[in-house]
Amino acid sequence: MTHPSQSILALYAGKELGWLAARRAERHVARCSQCRQVVEAFAALHDDLVGFGDVPPLSWSRLAAEMKANIRLGLAAGECVRSESPAPLAWISGMRAAMAGAAMVVLLAAGLVLERSTLPVPPVAADESMVLRATANGVELNQGGQSLSLLHMRAAQRPGGQLDVTYSAGAQGSMRARYVDSDTGNVTINNVYVQ
Amino acid sequence: MCNKLATLFVAGVAALCAQDMPLDPYNSVKINLPADSPLTLIEAKMGESHASARGSAVVLDLNMALTLRNSSASRVRGVTLLVAAQEVTPGGKASVTVPSLDVAPGQNFPVRIDLRLLRPGQTGGGPLVQVNLDGVLFQDLSFYGPNRLDSRRSMTAWEMEAQRDRKYFKAVLATHGPDGLKQAMLESLARQSERPSLDVQVSRGGRAVTSAAVPEHRAQFAFLRFPGAPVEPVDGWAEIAGNEARNPRIDVRNRSSQQVLHVEIGWIVTDRQGTRYMAASLPNAEPKLFLPPGSSGRLLQDTALRFSKNRGEPVPIAGMTGFVSQVEFADGKVWIPNREALAGAQLLGILAPSPEEERLTDLYRKKGPKALVEELGKF
Repeated sequence: MTHPSQSILALYAGKELGWLAARRAERHVARCSQCRQVVEAFAALHDDLVGFGDVPPLSWSRLAAEMKANIRLGLAAGECVRSESPAPLAWISGMRAAMAGAAMVVLLAAGLVLERSTLPVPPVAADESMVLRATANGVELNQGGQSLSLLHMRAAQRPGGQLDVTYSAGAQGSMRARYVDSDTGNVTINNVYVQ
Repeated sequence: MCNKLATLFVAGVAALCAQDMPLDPYNSVKINLPADSPLTLIEAKMGESHASARGSAVVLDLNMALTLRNSSASRVRGVTLLVAAQEVTPGGKASVTVPSLDVAPGQNFPVRIDLRLLRPGQTGGGPLVQVNLDGVLFQDLSFYGPNRLDSRRSMTAWEMEAQRDRKYFKAVLATHGPDGLKQAMLESLARQSERPSLDVQVSRGGRAVTSAAVPEHRAQFAFLRFPGAPVEPVDGWAEIAGNEARNPRIDVRNRSSQQVLHVEIGWIVTDRQGTRYMAASLPNAEPKLFLPPGSSGRLLQDTALRFSKNRGEPVPIAGMTGFVSQVEFADGKVWIPNREALAGAQLLGILAPSPEEERLTDLYRKKGPKALVEELGKF
Protein backbone atom coordinates (compact mmCIF):
# COMPACT_ATOMS: atom_id res chain seq x y z
CA MET A 1 0.00 0.00 0.00
CA THR A 2 1.34 3.44 -0.90
CA HIS A 3 0.95 5.89 2.01
CA PRO A 4 0.29 9.58 1.44
CA SER A 5 3.18 11.87 2.33
CA GLN A 6 3.41 13.59 5.76
CA SER A 7 2.57 16.90 4.08
CA ILE A 8 -0.64 15.49 2.61
CA LEU A 9 -1.62 14.03 5.99
CA ALA A 10 -0.84 17.30 7.79
CA LEU A 11 -2.92 19.26 5.26
CA TYR A 12 -5.72 16.72 5.55
CA ALA A 13 -5.68 17.05 9.36
CA GLY A 14 -5.87 20.81 9.01
CA LYS A 15 -8.71 20.55 6.42
CA GLU A 16 -6.51 22.35 3.92
CA LEU A 17 -6.61 19.84 1.06
CA GLY A 18 -8.66 20.30 -2.07
CA TRP A 19 -11.87 18.32 -2.38
CA LEU A 20 -10.51 15.52 -4.56
CA ALA A 21 -7.24 15.12 -2.63
CA ALA A 22 -9.17 15.18 0.64
CA ARG A 23 -11.47 12.36 -0.48
CA ARG A 24 -8.43 10.35 -1.59
CA ALA A 25 -6.72 10.90 1.77
CA GLU A 26 -9.94 10.15 3.62
CA ARG A 27 -10.29 6.78 1.87
CA HIS A 28 -6.71 5.89 2.70
CA VAL A 29 -6.92 6.99 6.32
CA ALA A 30 -10.11 4.98 6.81
CA ARG A 31 -8.19 1.83 5.89
CA CYS A 32 -4.74 2.58 7.33
CA SER A 33 -4.41 2.79 11.12
CA GLN A 34 -0.81 4.01 10.87
CA CYS A 35 -1.77 7.09 8.85
CA ARG A 36 -4.85 7.60 10.98
CA GLN A 37 -2.62 7.98 14.03
CA VAL A 38 -0.47 10.52 12.21
CA VAL A 39 -3.57 12.52 11.21
CA GLU A 40 -4.87 12.43 14.79
CA ALA A 41 -1.51 13.65 16.07
CA PHE A 42 -1.50 16.55 13.59
CA ALA A 43 -5.09 17.42 14.46
CA ALA A 44 -4.22 17.49 18.16
CA LEU A 45 -1.36 19.87 17.42
CA HIS A 46 -3.85 22.42 16.11
CA ASP A 47 -4.90 23.14 19.69
CA ASP A 48 -1.31 23.60 20.77
CA LEU A 49 -0.68 26.29 18.17
CA VAL A 50 -2.31 28.90 20.38
CA GLY A 51 0.62 28.66 22.79
CA PHE A 52 3.09 29.53 20.09
CA GLY A 53 3.18 33.15 21.14
CA ASP A 54 5.59 31.82 23.78
CA VAL A 55 8.25 30.84 21.23
CA PRO A 56 11.33 32.89 22.09
CA PRO A 57 11.48 35.84 19.67
CA LEU A 58 14.08 35.81 16.90
CA SER A 59 16.20 38.89 16.57
CA TRP A 60 15.53 39.69 12.92
CA SER A 61 17.56 42.86 13.10
CA ARG A 62 20.57 40.89 14.25
CA LEU A 63 19.92 38.25 11.57
CA ALA A 64 19.70 40.94 8.89
CA ALA A 65 22.90 42.54 10.14
CA GLU A 66 24.67 39.17 10.02
CA MET A 67 23.38 38.54 6.49
CA LYS A 68 24.57 41.96 5.35
CA ALA A 69 27.96 41.38 6.97
CA ASN A 70 28.28 38.02 5.23
CA ILE A 71 27.38 39.53 1.86
CA ARG A 72 29.89 42.32 2.42
CA LEU A 73 32.53 39.73 3.34
CA GLY A 74 31.67 37.67 0.24
CA LEU A 75 31.90 40.73 -2.02
CA ALA A 76 35.24 41.72 -0.45
CA ALA A 77 36.56 38.18 -0.92
CA GLY A 78 35.34 38.25 -4.52
CA GLU A 79 37.17 41.52 -5.04
CA CYS A 80 40.42 39.92 -3.81
CA VAL A 81 40.02 36.96 -6.17
CA ARG A 82 39.01 39.14 -9.12
CA SER A 83 42.07 41.35 -8.81
CA GLU A 84 44.34 38.33 -9.30
CA SER A 85 42.46 36.78 -12.23
CA PRO A 86 42.40 38.03 -15.82
CA ALA A 87 39.79 40.72 -16.44
CA PRO A 88 36.55 39.28 -17.89
CA LEU A 89 34.69 40.76 -20.78
CA ALA A 90 33.20 44.09 -19.81
CA TRP A 91 29.57 43.10 -20.55
CA ILE A 92 29.86 39.92 -18.41
CA SER A 93 31.30 41.99 -15.56
CA GLY A 94 28.43 44.45 -15.91
CA MET A 95 25.93 41.61 -15.88
CA ARG A 96 27.49 40.15 -12.71
CA ALA A 97 27.34 43.50 -10.97
CA ALA A 98 23.72 43.88 -11.96
CA MET A 99 22.88 40.40 -10.70
CA ALA A 100 24.73 41.01 -7.43
CA GLY A 101 22.87 44.30 -7.04
CA ALA A 102 19.55 42.61 -7.75
CA ALA A 103 20.36 39.86 -5.25
CA MET A 104 21.15 42.50 -2.64
CA VAL A 105 17.83 44.24 -3.30
CA VAL A 106 15.96 40.92 -3.02
CA LEU A 107 17.76 40.08 0.22
CA LEU A 108 17.07 43.47 1.76
CA ALA A 109 13.42 43.30 0.67
CA ALA A 110 13.11 39.81 2.16
CA GLY A 111 14.71 41.07 5.36
CA LEU A 112 12.24 43.94 5.54
CA VAL A 113 9.29 41.63 4.90
CA LEU A 114 10.47 39.18 7.55
CA GLU A 115 11.08 42.05 9.97
CA ARG A 116 7.43 43.08 9.62
CA SER A 117 5.86 39.64 9.61
CA THR A 118 7.24 38.02 12.74
CA LEU A 119 5.00 36.08 15.09
CA PRO A 120 3.25 38.27 17.66
CA VAL A 121 5.51 38.40 20.68
CA PRO A 122 5.12 40.20 23.99
CA PRO A 123 6.53 43.74 23.90
CA VAL A 124 10.08 44.07 25.09
CA ALA A 125 12.20 47.03 25.95
CA ALA A 126 13.95 48.68 23.05
CA ASP A 127 17.45 48.12 24.37
CA GLU A 128 16.83 44.47 25.26
CA SER A 129 16.90 45.43 28.95
CA MET A 130 15.23 43.22 31.51
CA VAL A 131 11.46 43.30 31.65
CA LEU A 132 9.29 42.43 34.62
CA ARG A 133 5.66 41.62 34.14
CA ALA A 134 2.76 39.80 35.71
CA THR A 135 1.65 36.69 33.85
CA ALA A 136 -1.46 34.57 34.34
CA ASN A 137 0.12 32.56 37.13
CA GLY A 138 3.17 34.44 38.33
CA VAL A 139 5.65 37.28 38.08
CA GLU A 140 8.19 36.88 35.30
CA LEU A 141 11.59 38.42 34.78
CA ASN A 142 12.73 38.09 31.18
CA GLN A 143 16.33 38.68 30.20
CA GLY A 144 17.52 37.91 26.69
CA GLY A 145 15.02 35.12 26.12
CA GLN A 146 15.73 33.44 29.45
CA SER A 147 13.30 33.89 32.26
CA LEU A 148 12.69 33.41 35.94
CA SER A 149 9.13 33.29 37.26
CA LEU A 150 7.80 33.05 40.78
CA LEU A 151 4.44 31.31 40.56
CA HIS A 152 1.44 31.61 42.85
CA MET A 153 -0.10 28.23 42.30
CA ARG A 154 -1.54 28.05 45.80
CA ALA A 155 -3.56 31.25 45.54
CA ALA A 156 -7.27 30.89 46.21
CA GLN A 157 -9.68 31.45 43.33
CA ARG A 158 -12.18 34.27 43.12
CA PRO A 159 -15.81 33.39 42.38
CA GLY A 160 -15.19 33.96 38.63
CA GLY A 161 -12.34 31.42 38.64
CA GLN A 162 -9.58 34.05 38.55
CA LEU A 163 -6.72 33.68 41.02
CA ASP A 164 -7.08 35.99 44.01
CA VAL A 165 -3.72 37.76 43.70
CA THR A 166 -2.77 41.38 44.36
CA TYR A 167 0.03 42.72 42.19
CA SER A 168 2.09 45.80 42.95
CA ALA A 169 4.98 47.34 41.09
CA GLY A 170 7.99 49.15 42.48
CA ALA A 171 9.40 51.92 40.30
CA GLN A 172 12.92 50.83 41.30
CA GLY A 173 12.35 47.68 39.22
CA SER A 174 10.41 45.17 41.25
CA MET A 175 7.07 43.46 41.08
CA ARG A 176 5.14 41.76 43.85
CA ALA A 177 2.35 39.22 43.81
CA ARG A 178 0.56 38.78 47.11
CA TYR A 179 -1.94 36.08 47.93
CA VAL A 180 -3.32 34.00 50.77
CA ASP A 181 -2.02 30.45 50.49
CA SER A 182 -5.11 28.27 50.15
CA ASP A 183 -3.42 25.41 52.05
CA THR A 184 -1.90 27.24 55.01
CA GLY A 185 -3.94 30.45 55.24
CA ASN A 186 -0.66 32.39 55.39
CA VAL A 187 -0.12 35.47 53.27
CA THR A 188 2.71 34.91 50.82
CA ILE A 189 4.46 37.73 48.95
CA ASN A 190 6.45 36.81 45.86
CA ASN A 191 8.80 39.58 44.79
CA VAL A 192 10.97 39.66 41.67
CA TYR A 193 13.63 42.34 41.27
CA VAL A 194 15.70 43.76 38.47
CA GLN A 195 19.14 44.67 39.78
CA MET B 1 -1.54 27.22 2.94
CA CYS B 2 2.26 26.88 2.87
CA ASN B 3 2.44 29.00 6.00
CA LYS B 4 -0.02 26.77 7.79
CA LEU B 5 1.86 23.68 6.69
CA ALA B 6 5.10 25.16 7.95
CA THR B 7 3.49 26.10 11.27
CA LEU B 8 2.09 22.59 11.62
CA PHE B 9 5.54 21.18 10.95
CA VAL B 10 7.11 23.48 13.55
CA ALA B 11 4.37 22.57 16.00
CA GLY B 12 5.02 18.90 15.37
CA VAL B 13 8.73 19.27 15.94
CA ALA B 14 8.15 21.35 19.06
CA ALA B 15 5.66 18.84 20.43
CA LEU B 16 8.09 16.01 19.82
CA CYS B 17 10.79 17.99 21.60
CA ALA B 18 8.52 19.03 24.53
CA GLN B 19 9.27 15.92 26.49
CA ASP B 20 9.92 15.58 30.18
CA MET B 21 13.59 15.34 30.99
CA PRO B 22 15.30 13.86 34.02
CA LEU B 23 15.71 16.40 36.83
CA ASP B 24 17.32 15.90 40.16
CA PRO B 25 15.58 18.66 42.14
CA TYR B 26 17.71 18.05 45.21
CA ASN B 27 20.86 18.89 43.23
CA SER B 28 19.16 21.71 41.32
CA VAL B 29 18.38 23.67 44.49
CA LYS B 30 20.61 24.62 47.38
CA ILE B 31 19.05 25.96 50.56
CA ASN B 32 21.45 27.88 52.77
CA LEU B 33 20.67 28.83 56.34
CA PRO B 34 23.44 30.42 58.43
CA ALA B 35 24.86 28.40 61.30
CA ASP B 36 23.40 30.82 63.86
CA SER B 37 20.06 31.09 62.11
CA PRO B 38 16.98 31.34 64.36
CA LEU B 39 15.24 29.09 61.84
CA THR B 40 16.03 25.42 61.20
CA LEU B 41 15.21 23.60 58.01
CA ILE B 42 13.18 20.56 58.99
CA GLU B 43 12.15 19.34 55.57
CA ALA B 44 12.39 20.34 51.91
CA LYS B 45 10.00 18.49 49.63
CA MET B 46 10.38 18.87 45.87
CA GLY B 47 7.42 16.65 45.00
CA GLU B 48 6.12 17.98 41.70
CA SER B 49 9.36 19.45 40.35
CA HIS B 50 10.18 18.52 36.77
CA ALA B 51 12.01 19.69 33.65
CA SER B 52 10.81 19.69 30.07
CA ALA B 53 12.39 20.67 26.77
CA ARG B 54 10.98 23.46 24.63
CA GLY B 55 12.93 23.54 21.41
CA SER B 56 16.56 24.14 22.37
CA ALA B 57 15.54 25.57 25.75
CA VAL B 58 14.67 23.82 28.99
CA VAL B 59 11.78 24.72 31.28
CA LEU B 60 12.30 23.80 34.92
CA ASP B 61 9.40 23.82 37.33
CA LEU B 62 10.65 23.71 40.89
CA ASN B 63 7.96 23.27 43.52
CA MET B 64 9.51 23.51 46.94
CA ALA B 65 7.59 22.89 50.15
CA LEU B 66 9.87 23.89 53.01
CA THR B 67 9.16 23.25 56.65
CA LEU B 68 11.03 25.60 58.96
CA ARG B 69 11.23 25.60 62.76
CA ASN B 70 11.47 28.65 64.97
CA SER B 71 14.58 27.77 66.98
CA SER B 72 14.72 31.15 68.71
CA ALA B 73 13.23 32.24 72.01
CA SER B 74 10.95 34.87 70.42
CA ARG B 75 7.81 34.67 68.35
CA VAL B 76 8.45 35.05 64.63
CA ARG B 77 6.34 37.61 62.76
CA GLY B 78 7.83 37.38 59.27
CA VAL B 79 10.39 35.60 57.12
CA THR B 80 12.02 36.53 53.81
CA LEU B 81 13.91 34.04 51.67
CA LEU B 82 16.10 35.26 48.82
CA VAL B 83 15.87 33.18 45.64
CA ALA B 84 18.60 33.56 43.03
CA ALA B 85 19.23 31.80 39.73
CA GLN B 86 22.35 33.63 38.56
CA GLU B 87 22.93 31.31 35.63
CA VAL B 88 19.50 32.11 34.17
CA THR B 89 18.93 35.76 35.02
CA PRO B 90 22.23 37.24 36.22
CA GLY B 91 20.58 40.66 36.51
CA GLY B 92 17.65 39.55 38.58
CA LYS B 93 16.65 37.92 41.80
CA ALA B 94 13.52 37.03 43.65
CA SER B 95 12.24 36.65 47.17
CA VAL B 96 9.42 34.96 48.99
CA THR B 97 8.14 36.66 52.14
CA VAL B 98 5.64 35.31 54.60
CA PRO B 99 4.49 38.25 56.76
CA SER B 100 1.75 38.30 59.42
CA LEU B 101 3.03 35.13 61.05
CA ASP B 102 2.72 34.26 64.71
CA VAL B 103 5.11 31.35 65.19
CA ALA B 104 5.92 30.41 68.78
CA PRO B 105 9.40 29.20 69.78
CA GLY B 106 9.84 25.54 68.79
CA GLN B 107 6.91 25.62 66.39
CA ASN B 108 7.16 24.52 62.73
CA PHE B 109 5.70 26.46 59.84
CA PRO B 110 5.56 25.98 56.06
CA VAL B 111 6.97 28.15 53.27
CA ARG B 112 6.28 27.31 49.64
CA ILE B 113 8.41 28.42 46.71
CA ASP B 114 7.10 27.72 43.23
CA LEU B 115 9.61 28.72 40.61
CA ARG B 116 9.82 28.35 36.83
CA LEU B 117 13.05 28.83 34.90
CA LEU B 118 13.42 29.00 31.13
CA ARG B 119 17.04 28.60 30.12
CA PRO B 120 19.18 27.26 27.27
CA GLY B 121 19.86 23.53 27.29
CA GLN B 122 23.60 23.96 27.62
CA THR B 123 24.65 25.34 30.99
CA GLY B 124 27.33 24.77 33.56
CA GLY B 125 27.14 22.49 36.57
CA GLY B 126 26.20 23.32 40.15
CA PRO B 127 22.83 24.15 41.68
CA LEU B 128 20.61 26.27 39.49
CA VAL B 129 18.74 27.91 42.32
CA GLN B 130 20.10 29.15 45.62
CA VAL B 131 17.71 29.90 48.46
CA ASN B 132 19.16 32.04 51.25
CA LEU B 133 17.65 33.49 54.38
CA ASP B 134 17.41 37.27 54.02
CA GLY B 135 15.71 38.04 57.26
CA VAL B 136 13.50 37.11 60.18
CA LEU B 137 11.34 39.64 62.02
CA PHE B 138 10.40 38.97 65.62
CA GLN B 139 7.47 40.10 67.75
CA ASP B 140 9.47 42.91 69.36
CA LEU B 141 10.44 44.14 65.84
CA SER B 142 14.02 42.97 66.31
CA PHE B 143 15.55 41.46 63.20
CA TYR B 144 17.98 38.76 62.19
CA GLY B 145 19.57 38.33 58.77
CA PRO B 146 21.87 39.79 56.11
CA ASN B 147 19.06 42.10 54.91
CA ARG B 148 20.32 42.24 51.31
CA LEU B 149 16.81 42.95 50.06
CA ASP B 150 16.03 45.53 52.74
CA SER B 151 13.55 43.01 54.07
CA ARG B 152 13.89 44.46 57.58
CA ARG B 153 12.13 47.64 56.50
CA SER B 154 9.52 45.86 54.38
CA MET B 155 8.61 43.36 57.07
CA THR B 156 8.61 46.04 59.79
CA ALA B 157 6.21 48.13 57.68
CA TRP B 158 3.93 45.14 57.14
CA GLU B 159 4.00 44.38 60.86
CA MET B 160 3.13 48.02 61.63
CA GLU B 161 0.22 47.76 59.21
CA ALA B 162 -0.82 44.49 60.83
CA GLN B 163 -0.83 46.11 64.29
CA ARG B 164 -2.75 49.11 62.92
CA ASP B 165 -5.42 47.00 61.24
CA ARG B 166 -5.83 44.52 64.10
CA LYS B 167 -6.28 47.50 66.43
CA TYR B 168 -8.96 48.90 64.10
CA PHE B 169 -10.90 45.64 63.86
CA LYS B 170 -10.62 45.06 67.61
CA ALA B 171 -11.98 48.57 68.18
CA VAL B 172 -14.88 47.82 65.83
CA LEU B 173 -15.56 44.60 67.76
CA ALA B 174 -15.41 46.42 71.09
CA THR B 175 -17.65 49.26 69.94
CA HIS B 176 -20.16 47.55 67.65
CA GLY B 177 -19.91 43.89 68.64
CA PRO B 178 -19.71 40.86 66.32
CA ASP B 179 -22.30 42.35 63.93
CA GLY B 180 -20.19 45.48 63.53
CA LEU B 181 -17.10 43.35 62.89
CA LYS B 182 -19.03 41.34 60.32
CA GLN B 183 -20.07 44.57 58.60
CA ALA B 184 -16.45 45.80 58.58
CA MET B 185 -15.31 42.49 57.05
CA LEU B 186 -17.97 42.68 54.35
CA GLU B 187 -16.96 46.25 53.54
CA SER B 188 -13.32 45.21 53.26
CA LEU B 189 -14.19 42.25 51.00
CA ALA B 190 -16.27 44.58 48.80
CA ARG B 191 -13.39 47.06 48.55
CA GLN B 192 -11.01 44.25 47.59
CA SER B 193 -13.25 42.95 44.82
CA GLU B 194 -14.16 46.40 43.48
CA ARG B 195 -10.66 47.90 43.61
CA PRO B 196 -9.66 48.99 40.09
CA SER B 197 -6.62 47.02 39.07
CA LEU B 198 -3.94 47.81 36.58
CA ASP B 199 -1.39 45.64 34.80
CA VAL B 200 2.03 47.21 35.09
CA GLN B 201 5.12 46.26 33.12
CA VAL B 202 8.42 47.50 34.47
CA SER B 203 11.63 47.83 32.47
CA ARG B 204 14.86 49.41 33.52
CA GLY B 205 16.96 51.78 31.48
CA GLY B 206 14.97 51.94 28.26
CA ARG B 207 11.83 53.03 26.56
CA ALA B 208 9.29 50.45 25.44
CA VAL B 209 9.01 49.81 21.71
CA THR B 210 5.25 49.98 21.51
CA SER B 211 4.96 53.60 22.55
CA ALA B 212 8.07 54.92 20.84
CA ALA B 213 5.99 56.87 18.31
CA VAL B 214 3.81 58.60 20.92
CA PRO B 215 4.91 62.14 21.77
CA GLU B 216 6.39 62.46 25.24
CA HIS B 217 5.69 65.24 27.69
CA ARG B 218 6.59 66.04 31.24
CA ALA B 219 3.67 65.69 33.66
CA GLN B 220 3.56 67.02 37.22
CA PHE B 221 2.49 65.01 40.24
CA ALA B 222 -0.34 66.26 42.43
CA PHE B 223 0.16 65.34 46.09
CA LEU B 224 -1.97 64.14 48.97
CA ARG B 225 -0.58 65.35 52.28
CA PHE B 226 -1.35 63.52 55.52
CA PRO B 227 -1.42 65.42 58.80
CA GLY B 228 1.46 64.30 60.99
CA ALA B 229 3.45 62.71 58.17
CA PRO B 230 7.18 63.04 58.94
CA VAL B 231 8.06 63.71 55.29
CA GLU B 232 6.18 65.86 52.81
CA PRO B 233 6.32 65.73 49.01
CA VAL B 234 7.26 69.10 47.53
CA ASP B 235 7.44 68.71 43.78
CA GLY B 236 7.54 65.88 41.28
CA TRP B 237 7.18 64.92 37.66
CA ALA B 238 7.63 62.08 35.16
CA GLU B 239 7.95 61.77 31.39
CA ILE B 240 4.66 60.53 29.97
CA ALA B 241 3.98 59.02 26.55
CA GLY B 242 0.54 57.48 26.15
CA ASN B 243 0.29 54.68 28.68
CA GLU B 244 3.95 54.83 29.64
CA ALA B 245 5.65 56.81 32.40
CA ARG B 246 9.42 57.15 32.63
CA ASN B 247 12.02 58.50 34.99
CA PRO B 248 9.82 59.67 37.88
CA ARG B 249 11.36 62.28 40.17
CA ILE B 250 9.91 63.53 43.44
CA ASP B 251 11.41 66.09 45.80
CA VAL B 252 10.64 65.54 49.48
CA ARG B 253 11.35 67.40 52.70
CA ASN B 254 11.99 65.85 56.09
CA ARG B 255 9.62 67.57 58.56
CA SER B 256 10.54 65.34 61.49
CA SER B 257 13.23 65.76 64.13
CA GLN B 258 14.97 62.52 63.15
CA GLN B 259 17.21 61.46 60.31
CA VAL B 260 15.26 59.67 57.59
CA LEU B 261 16.79 56.67 55.81
CA HIS B 262 14.04 55.69 53.44
CA VAL B 263 10.97 57.30 51.88
CA GLU B 264 8.43 55.58 49.72
CA ILE B 265 5.83 57.40 47.65
CA GLY B 266 2.56 55.76 46.60
CA TRP B 267 1.93 56.51 42.93
CA ILE B 268 -1.65 56.78 41.69
CA VAL B 269 -2.49 57.25 38.02
CA THR B 270 -5.80 58.53 36.69
CA ASP B 271 -7.11 57.51 33.28
CA ARG B 272 -9.16 59.67 30.91
CA GLN B 273 -12.42 58.45 32.46
CA GLY B 274 -11.25 59.67 35.86
CA THR B 275 -10.68 56.20 37.35
CA ARG B 276 -7.82 56.17 39.84
CA TYR B 277 -5.47 53.19 40.07
CA MET B 278 -2.66 52.38 42.44
CA ALA B 279 0.14 52.15 39.90
CA ALA B 280 3.38 51.62 41.78
CA SER B 281 5.49 52.63 44.73
CA LEU B 282 8.42 54.95 44.28
CA PRO B 283 11.24 54.50 46.79
CA ASN B 284 14.56 56.33 46.97
CA ALA B 285 17.11 55.06 44.47
CA GLU B 286 20.03 54.70 46.87
CA PRO B 287 19.86 51.94 49.47
CA LYS B 288 19.63 54.64 52.15
CA LEU B 289 18.70 58.31 51.82
CA PHE B 290 20.26 59.84 54.98
CA LEU B 291 17.97 62.87 55.06
CA PRO B 292 18.66 65.06 58.12
CA PRO B 293 15.81 66.90 59.88
CA GLY B 294 14.54 69.87 57.87
CA SER B 295 16.47 69.00 54.72
CA SER B 296 15.21 68.07 51.26
CA GLY B 297 16.07 65.19 48.96
CA ARG B 298 15.01 63.70 45.67
CA LEU B 299 13.56 60.28 44.88
CA LEU B 300 14.29 59.26 41.32
CA GLN B 301 14.26 56.05 39.34
CA ASP B 302 15.56 55.25 35.87
CA THR B 303 12.69 53.00 34.88
CA ALA B 304 9.81 52.84 32.46
CA LEU B 305 6.38 51.69 33.61
CA ARG B 306 3.70 50.76 31.11
CA PHE B 307 0.09 50.55 32.24
CA SER B 308 -2.66 48.42 30.77
CA LYS B 309 -5.78 46.59 31.83
CA ASN B 310 -8.02 43.80 30.57
CA ARG B 311 -5.02 41.84 29.26
CA GLY B 312 -3.25 44.43 27.21
CA GLU B 313 -5.66 47.36 26.69
CA PRO B 314 -3.44 50.46 27.17
CA VAL B 315 -4.44 52.88 29.92
CA PRO B 316 -3.36 56.38 28.81
CA ILE B 317 -2.25 58.46 31.75
CA ALA B 318 -4.32 61.59 32.30
CA GLY B 319 -3.05 62.48 35.77
CA MET B 320 -0.69 61.39 38.53
CA THR B 321 -0.99 61.69 42.29
CA GLY B 322 1.59 60.87 44.93
CA PHE B 323 1.47 60.42 48.70
CA VAL B 324 4.00 59.40 51.31
CA SER B 325 3.29 55.75 52.07
CA GLN B 326 6.30 54.81 54.17
CA VAL B 327 9.18 56.45 56.06
CA GLU B 328 12.05 54.68 57.79
CA PHE B 329 14.05 56.51 60.45
CA ALA B 330 17.68 56.06 61.44
CA ASP B 331 16.68 54.06 64.54
CA GLY B 332 14.94 51.45 62.34
CA LYS B 333 11.41 52.60 63.21
CA VAL B 334 8.94 52.88 60.36
CA TRP B 335 6.10 55.35 59.86
CA ILE B 336 3.01 54.41 57.88
CA PRO B 337 -0.23 56.40 57.36
CA ASN B 338 -3.04 55.59 59.78
CA ARG B 339 -6.45 54.33 58.65
CA GLU B 340 -8.14 57.66 59.31
CA ALA B 341 -5.71 59.44 56.98
CA LEU B 342 -6.22 56.82 54.25
CA ALA B 343 -10.00 56.95 54.64
CA GLY B 344 -9.94 60.78 54.65
CA ALA B 345 -8.02 60.81 51.37
CA GLN B 346 -10.40 58.22 49.93
CA LEU B 347 -7.52 55.82 49.41
CA LEU B 348 -8.98 52.74 51.10
CA GLY B 349 -10.82 51.84 47.90
CA ILE B 350 -7.73 52.31 45.73
CA LEU B 351 -4.93 50.78 47.77
CA ALA B 352 -4.61 47.06 48.32
CA PRO B 353 -5.43 46.08 51.89
CA SER B 354 -2.55 45.27 54.20
CA PRO B 355 -1.41 41.63 54.21
CA GLU B 356 -2.96 41.28 57.68
CA GLU B 357 -6.33 42.69 56.59
CA GLU B 358 -6.27 40.30 53.66
CA ARG B 359 -5.46 37.37 55.98
CA LEU B 360 -8.22 38.31 58.42
CA THR B 361 -10.86 38.74 55.72
CA ASP B 362 -9.81 35.40 54.21
CA LEU B 363 -10.16 33.80 57.64
CA TYR B 364 -13.61 35.38 58.05
CA ARG B 365 -14.68 34.19 54.60
CA LYS B 366 -13.52 30.61 55.16
CA LYS B 367 -14.18 30.05 58.86
CA GLY B 368 -16.71 32.65 59.89
CA PRO B 369 -16.95 35.43 62.52
CA LYS B 370 -16.25 33.20 65.53
CA ALA B 371 -12.85 32.12 64.20
CA LEU B 372 -12.05 35.76 63.42
CA VAL B 373 -12.93 36.93 66.92
CA GLU B 374 -10.74 34.14 68.35
CA GLU B 375 -7.88 35.14 66.06
CA LEU B 376 -8.09 38.81 67.07
CA GLY B 377 -8.09 37.70 70.70
CA LYS B 378 -4.63 36.14 70.27
CA PHE B 379 -3.00 39.53 69.82
